[in-house]
Amino acid sequence: MKQFGTILKFEFSSFLKNKVFVGTTVFLVIVLAVVMFFPNISALFESEESTEESGARAVMLVYAEDAELAELSRQYFSEAFSNYDVQLAADSLEAVKEQITSGQAECAFAMDSAASYTYYVDNLSMYDSNTAIADSVLQEVYRVSAMVQHGISPEQAAEILSVQIESQSVSLGKDMGETYWYTYVMIMALYMVLILYGQMVATNVASEKSSRAMEVLVTSAKPASMMFGKVLASCLAGLFQLVAVFGSALLFYTINRSAWADSPIIELLFHIPVHLFVYMLVFFVLGFLIYAFLYGAIGSTASKLEDINTSVMPITFLLVIAFLVVMSSMTSASMDNTLMKVCSFIPFTAPMAMFARICMSTVPWYEIAASIVILAGSTVGIGFLAAKIYRVGVLLYGTPPKIGAILKAIRNA
Amino acid sequence: MKLELKQIDKSFGEKQVLKGVSFTVESGKAFGLLGRNGAGKTTTIRILMNVFPANGGEVLMDGKPLDYGKTGIGYLPEERGLYPKKRVIDQLVYFAELKGMTKKNAVVAVDAWLERLGMTEYRDKRLDTLSKGNQQKIQLVTALAHDPKIVILDEPFSGLDPVNAMLLKDVVREQIAKGKIVLFSSHQMSYIEEFCDSIAIINAGKVALHGDLHDIKRDYPRDRLVVNTTDPALIRRDFGSACTEAENGALLIQMADPGEKSAVMKRLVEQYDIDEVKVFEPSLNDIFVQYAGEQV
Repeated sequence: MKQFGTILKFEFSSFLKNKVFVGTTVFLVIVLAVVMFFPNISALFESEESTEESGARAVMLVYAEDAELAELSRQYFSEAFSNYDVQLAADSLEAVKEQITSGQAECAFAMDSAASYTYYVDNLSMYDSNTAIADSVLQEVYRVSAMVQHGISPEQAAEILSVQIESQSVSLGKDMGETYWYTYVMIMALYMVLILYGQMVATNVASEKSSRAMEVLVTSAKPASMMFGKVLASCLAGLFQLVAVFGSALLFYTINRSAWADSPIIELLFHIPVHLFVYMLVFFVLGFLIYAFLYGAIGSTASKLEDINTSVMPITFLLVIAFLVVMSSMTSASMDNTLMKVCSFIPFTAPMAMFARICMSTVPWYEIAASIVILAGSTVGIGFLAAKIYRVGVLLYGTPPKIGAILKAIRNA
Repeated sequence: MKLELKQIDKSFGEKQVLKGVSFTVESGKAFGLLGRNGAGKTTTIRILMNVFPANGGEVLMDGKPLDYGKTGIGYLPEERGLYPKKRVIDQLVYFAELKGMTKKNAVVAVDAWLERLGMTEYRDKRLDTLSKGNQQKIQLVTALAHDPKIVILDEPFSGLDPVNAMLLKDVVREQIAKGKIVLFSSHQMSYIEEFCDSIAIINAGKVALHGDLHDIKRDYPRDRLVVNTTDPALIRRDFGSACTEAENGALLIQMADPGEKSAVMKRLVEQYDIDEVKVFEPSLNDIFVQYAGEQV
C-alpha cells in the first residue's frame, strides 16, 4: 500500500512537471477566456462602427418583363425583406446578372409570373432563406387574390390567412433540445480525455520498458501497485485538467454573464443540473479507469514506442465505436433504442451510452444502478487482469506477442 | 546468513528454462553465477527476486522461505536504464522509497552514495545529460542505497573505465566485508576469479558445476607442470610426447603420476635453464569452457 502511494505520488508529480501537460491546460484556459470574454471585447469595437453600417443595406433586385408584376413584387418584397434595399431592375436580365456578379447587388428575383420566379445570387450560402421567404410571400399574395376573386374582401382574406395557432409544449421527462448541448460537450470531453490519457498511459508504460527502467522497477514494486498507481495518477491528472478547464470556463462565464444572456446555448451549457455532474464524475472515473487499464496492459506488451500506435488500435476502435453509437443516437434523438440500451450495460460503452441516456432521456433507477455495478465490477476485474498482463508483458522483449500467447503466459506465471 | 536455491524449475510455455537449479550462497563471500548466453542466469535471478514464481523448488534464507518484505535485495540489471528525462535525485529517491525507505532517509542515503561515487555534481541534472559510464554509476545507487542484505550485480563492470572499475571493486569489497550476500553474474572471468570464493556454472538450465572455486581448482588432477624456459627445444626433445606447448608459449609436461612432481621439478631445474616451474591449475576460463561448452 505504501508502494502504491509512492508510485501514485511520483506519477502524478510527473504530470505536473510535464511541460506539455501544463502547456495544454494553460492553452485551453486561455482559449476559453478569449471565447467567454468575446462579447465584451467585440462590443468595444462594434459600438463605434454600428452607425456607419446601418446606412448601407444590401441591394436586392426585382425584375419582370411585365412592369405591373415587377412593381407589385417590389412592394411585397420590400415589406418581407426589411434588411434589404429592394429595387426595381429596369434593364435586361443580362444586366441584372452582371450587377450581381460585379457585387452591386446581392441577389435578384426574376419574376416569370405571380407564381413562378428564378432566384439569382452570386454565391448561394447554405443558410440562404430568401427563397423560402419569397415563396411564402408570393403564396400569400396568390391566395389573397384568389379569395378576392371568389368574393371575399381583401381585409377578410388577410384575416383568414393570418390566423396564428398558439401552442405550448410541456415536457414531463427531459427536454432533448435543452439537454443536447451540455450532453454533447460532456460526451465529447469524456471521449477526448479517454483517448488522450489512454495513449499517455500506454506510452508511459512502453517508454519505461524501452528505457529498461522496468528492469529495476519490476524488481522493486508489485505489478499491481505499478499498474494501479500509474492509472490512478493519470486519472487524477485528467480530473485535474477537466476541473481546471471547466472551472475556469464557469468562472469566466460568471464574470461575463450579462453579455451571454441572449445566447441560449451558452446559457444552457452552464446550467447543468447538479445530479448530472455527479453521474458525469462516476462515469468519467470508471470509464477512464477501465480504458486506462486496457491501454496500460497493451503498452506493457510493446517493446518499442513505435509499436504502441498499432498495438492500441483495437482499444481505440472500441472507443470510437462507442462514441459514434452515442453521437448518432443523440443527433437522431432516439436515446432509448435497442442498441443504446445494450450499449449502456457493456462496460466499454456504458460510460458514454448510459451517461448520454441519463442526460437526455428518463432512465429507471435500477437500470442506472445495474449499469454502474457492472461497470465498476468489470473495472476492478480488468484492473487485476491488466496488472497480470503487465507483469508478463514488461519482461517480454522483441515483437509484440499475440493475445493467445499472453493469456498462456498469464496462466503459467 | 545463507541463501539457498533448491531444485528450482521454470518453464515458459513449452520451453523448460530451468531444470532443478540448486546452489548456496553465504554472506561475507562473493558468489559467481556463470553460464553462457541463454543458459538461464537471468531467469534464476528473477526467480530469486520474486519477479515471477518458480514452477517448483524453493528459495530459502537460513533454512526458512525468503521473506521479501524484510530482506531487501539490491539489483543491478544487465540491461541498464532508468528514466532518461527525470532528475537524478528524483528517481534515485523514488527507487529507494519503493524499496521501503522513508523519503527523508532515502534522500540522506542517496546523497551519501552520490558523494561516495563522486557524482554529487550531477545530483540535480537530468539523467540523459550524463555520460554512459556515469549513468551506470547512478544505476549502482539504485541497487545499494536501501542497504540491502542481498546484492545482485549482473555484469557490473561492463562499460566502466579502469578508474571507475577500481571504484566499483572497492564498493563491492566493502559490501562483502559488511557481511552481505553478494551475487555476481558476468562473462568477464577475470573479475569473477578476483572476487568470488564460490561459483555455480549453469548450462542449459542445469547447474553443471557448483562449489568453492579454490576446491574446484584443487580437484583437477595435479599431474601437469607449467614450465617457462629459455631453451624449450631441448626440453621438448628430451621429454618427447609428454611435453606440449600451452597457449601462452609455456611448456606443459604431463607426468605419469602426481607423486613424481618433486623428482621431475628437480630434474628440470638441474638440467635446463628454467625461469619458472609450477603445478598446472586450470583458469576459471578453462573450467568455464569445459563445463559450459558442452551441449546438454
